[in-house]
Amino acid sequence: MNDNTGMSPLESAFHASAERHERFWIFGVLVMLVLLTIGTMFYVVHDYGLVTGTHSYATDPQAPAREAAFQDGKVVRTGPNAYAVYMVGRAWHWSPDVIHVPEGAEITFYVTSTDVLHGFEIQGTPVNLTAVPGVVGTVKYTFHHTGLFRIICNEYCGMFHHAMVARIIVDPAGTP
Amino acid sequence: MSIEIAADTFASAPPQTGSDRAAASMRRLMLAFLVAGFSALLVGATIGPLQALNYGGVDAYPALRPLLQSYYQGLTIHGVMNGYVFTFFITCGLLVYLPARELGVTPNLTMWRACFAIMAVGALCVLYAMGDNSSSVLWTFYPPLKGSPFFYIGITLLALGSTMPLPILMDMRRTWRRHRPGEITPLVTYMSLTTMLMWGLAGVGVVAELVLQLDPWSLGLISTVDPIINRTLFWLTGHPIVYFWLMPAYVSWYGLLSRQVGGKLVSDPMARITFALLMIFSLPVGTHHQFSDPGFSSIWRGILVVLTMSVATPSLVTAFTIGLSLEYAGRLRGGKGWFGWFRALPWGDPSVAAQVLAAITFILGGATGIVNGSWQLNAIVHNTTFIPGHFHVTVGSVTAMTFMAISFWMVPHLTGRQLISRRLALFSVWVWFIGMTIFAIGMTWAGLYGVPRRAWVSALPHGTYHALYGAASVPLALVAIGGVLLWVASYSFFAVFFGTLLFGRHAAPPPIPFAQSFGGPASSTIDSPPNPARSASPLIRALDHIWLLTGITALATIAAYIPILWPFLHHVTRAPGWILW
Repeated sequence: MNDNTGMSPLESAFHASAERHERFWIFGVLVMLVLLTIGTMFYVVHDYGLVTGTHSYATDPQAPAREAAFQDGKVVRTGPNAYAVYMVGRAWHWSPDVIHVPEGAEITFYVTSTDVLHGFEIQGTPVNLTAVPGVVGTVKYTFHHTGLFRIICNEYCGMFHHAMVARIIVDPAGTP
Repeated sequence: MSIEIAADTFASAPPQTGSDRAAASMRRLMLAFLVAGFSALLVGATIGPLQALNYGGVDAYPALRPLLQSYYQGLTIHGVMNGYVFTFFITCGLLVYLPARELGVTPNLTMWRACFAIMAVGALCVLYAMGDNSSSVLWTFYPPLKGSPFFYIGITLLALGSTMPLPILMDMRRTWRRHRPGEITPLVTYMSLTTMLMWGLAGVGVVAELVLQLDPWSLGLISTVDPIINRTLFWLTGHPIVYFWLMPAYVSWYGLLSRQVGGKLVSDPMARITFALLMIFSLPVGTHHQFSDPGFSSIWRGILVVLTMSVATPSLVTAFTIGLSLEYAGRLRGGKGWFGWFRALPWGDPSVAAQVLAAITFILGGATGIVNGSWQLNAIVHNTTFIPGHFHVTVGSVTAMTFMAISFWMVPHLTGRQLISRRLALFSVWVWFIGMTIFAIGMTWAGLYGVPRRAWVSALPHGTYHALYGAASVPLALVAIGGVLLWVASYSFFAVFFGTLLFGRHAAPPPIPFAQSFGGPASSTIDSPPNPARSASPLIRALDHIWLLTGITALATIAAYIPILWPFLHHVTRAPGWILW
């Protein structure tokens, strides 16, 4: 667009200025993007942060919930300071609906659904995992505060979706 | 400075010739698209504030039985009518009518009528299915929630109908180029065409989901579906749809607004680059809506973040180009100093006010979008009220307000009737701006307290509501206040829109305010003086090869989706349907 014929002086001046600033602006935008890219890649390589993982798939959406771990609905100790929690979403409750976990321990949540999609959100934390029928998803989290946390279903699942709430009680470290 | 525009001859020309009849048909059809679209908004926007009140703890639904059975039925109607029916009708009208008038070519009217008819049948099917509460599955209709066949077939028709402007545009461009070999596609046509090409490619996802799975499933031909494959296919379309909402608004900002404010578009190439980038980057990134889903690798999540951030580039370029075009007009109008040009804009014109205010809300909309697209931040806000907070200051402000802005000049242009009240029109857009901003601030803020989106929280026992969401009482009150303001705004707008259609005083119809770009031709119609493309840079010439762009976009999309769908296709789940409302 170097052909300025037919432009008034103001238009010409504005055009020239626009082209100059435009390049500067686009340069700024691209630098920002490259920095974001490098930052993201660093994050990916160095520390995934909170990641939703996949434990298993099943053809029958009811199958995962029939496994012993899900049936018992217990908190399983898997290491010196590590626990596994098996959680099934059903319209419209979480099973188990009250669990106790110790403060400072690494908790791995195994989450599935037996009917429709549910959303496994622990209010006040970044834990956020879609409960999908036929898929067991995982997410790890360490609670650094004792007290009551709520699991709120955040994926629409029908008439009483809003009432699908369970509780996690984080006990002080060292409690059996 | 005098600016010549294409003569708008339909009002004065003798009414006998064939092209006059075609022009009259075009105007009638365009008006039909506008009326259908805004009627859908009337339904959707009437229900919207009930949802805002819900978050404020006010449950209006028991009073509305038997009209509405539940919050979820209301929310389904709100989302589908506003998100699909309203936007599809307005866009499928505009992106044919504006290019046709820019090129001076008559579109294939039969095909355009078919587009209207198919979408109208689809909209009626969907309305029926939502109205009898058989399909309260929300606008995302994630299986295995199972609605009625009318719902899925209706959505299928809406989706297919909404891609029909693509062949109409291709055909008009071909005619124009035959008469003007070697010239670059005029800007409004270029923007409309890239938008429709993007949408045509994007539609593959949801059409596959509907035709291969949900339609036969709802009809009883197959008994199970795979939830996560369908969710992925949905977002293959569901992310680009936000650009199908946004790009028509950009068409008005780039193609018309600079003239409406009395200036020129400062850069025609930047508009083209913006649309080309939007087309390429909007398609491969749909899975960023699934950061919280199990099933695909963390490497891909990282790549998706990068691609998603890239889609911010064209919007940031738009902020610059549109901002500078407004500044140019403001200075021509005597604005001085750092912000004087902004005050000098023609704020008394409701069409200008609506678009400039919409652009301001997009600062919040874009910034919250960058939060959503960042994997780790997304974990905090995913499926909280932060998300609808975000998209109400994109589609709910940028798209809705720009379409309202367009109607303020287009209804007089099409009907030859004056707006019944410029003041009421101005009032409606200002209140919409203030209401939507308050609403969005409340929603995004409440989301940080973990308030889930799409939840009938006001139906919870009072004590439970306070135990769960009491900490967010201030933002939730803002949500309710914003919602009530939006009620006032939308009814003021509908009074102007329908009032003008029915009772507006007859006056000379205003022409379409096509903007001229710096150094660009005054008119690009097929019979205007030749405009040799000598000033077009090689980049602009390259961007005019739309099939190249389409090919790149398709390849990028396939490359992005194969690794994501691969594990799902190897672990198919057979989930039966559930009706849970």
